Amino acid sequence: MNMTSAIIALAVALVMGIATIGPALGQGTASAKAMEGIARQPEVAGELRTTLIIALAFMEALTIYGLLIAFMLLAKM
Amino acid sequence: MEKAKVLFSIFGLDVTGHVTTMWGIMLFMLLVFVVATRKLDKVPGRFQCLIEFTVEGLLNFFSGIMGREQARRYFPLLATLFLFILISNWSGLLPFAGHVDGFKPPTSTLSVTAGLAIIAFVATQIAGFREKGFGYLKSFFQPFFLMFPLNLIEELVRPLSLSLRLFGNIFGEEMVVVVLLGMAPYFAPIPMQLLGILFGFIQALVFTTLTAIYISSATADAH
Repeated sequence: MNMTSAIIALAVALVMGIATIGPALGQGTASAKAMEGIARQPEVAGELRTTLIIALAFMEALTIYGLLIAFMLLAKM
Repeated sequence: MEKAKVLFSIFGLDVTGHVTTMWGIMLFMLLVFVVATRKLDKVPGRFQCLIEFTVEGLLNFFSGIMGREQARRYFPLLATLFLFILISNWSGLLPFAGHVDGFKPPTSTLSVTAGLAIIAFVATQIAGFREKGFGYLKSFFQPFFLMFPLNLIEELVRPLSLSLRLFGNIFGEEMVVVVLLGMAPYFAPIPMQLLGILFGFIQALVFTTLTAIYISSATADAH
C-alpha cells in the first residue's frame, strides 16, 4: 500500500464522517419541531408529516453528496 | 465509478443496460395504462379503481402545492415524472437487477437523472415565460437589482441538486446492497432493500414535489 492509497483511504473516511454531522443535527431539530407541532395540534398531523418527510429528504441529499465523493475516491484508490 | 457496459449501438449512440431497462419500464407503463382505460365504466372494476385512486391521489397532492387549476395544467408532466421515477427506483429491488447485463435500474446512472432534471428545468423556464412573458426575466432582478447573480446561480443549481440527489440515493442503495451481498448472501441485504422500498418512494415524491414547487414559484406573481 503506497502513500497515495493511504491518503485516499484517509480522505474517504474523513469525507463520510464529516458529511454526516451537519445533516444529522438538522434532521434531528426538524423532527423535534415536527413532533412538537403534532402534539400541539393533532388534526394537522398529516400535513406536518408530509412536510417533515420532504424536509428530511432535502437534508439527506447533503450527506448523499458526501457519499458520492467517497465512492469516486474509492474508485481511484 | 466504472463506465457502464455498452450493449449495442443505434445510429452511433451507445445503448447500455440502463437504456434497455428504461424501454422495458416505458412498455410496462404503456401497457398498464392502455389496459386500464380500454373499457371505462361508470362503476369501476378493481383495476380501474386502483388507477383512478392513484391519479386522483396525485392530483390532490399537486393541488395542495400549486392550486387546482395549475395542477391540472402540469399534471401530465408531474405525474409521469413521479410514476416513472417510482417504478424505476423500485426496479432495483427485483431479482437479477444490476447483475444481468441488460437489466439495471435507470435512475442509478447520472445520465438518466440528469436528463430528468433537465426536463424539469426546461419545463420551469417554459412555464415562467408562458405566464409572465418577459416579466419572467425581470423577476430575476427582484427584489433588488444586484440580486441577479444570486438568483441566476440559484436557478442553475436546482437541476444539479435534483439530479445528484436522485442519483446518489439510488446508486448508493445499490452499492450498499452489493457490499452486503458480498458479506452474507440472501440475508444481509434484506434490511437495506426494505429501506430501499421506502427511500425509492420518498425520492420520487421529493423530485416531483420540488419540480412542482419550482414551476409554481416561476409562475407566481411578484411579492
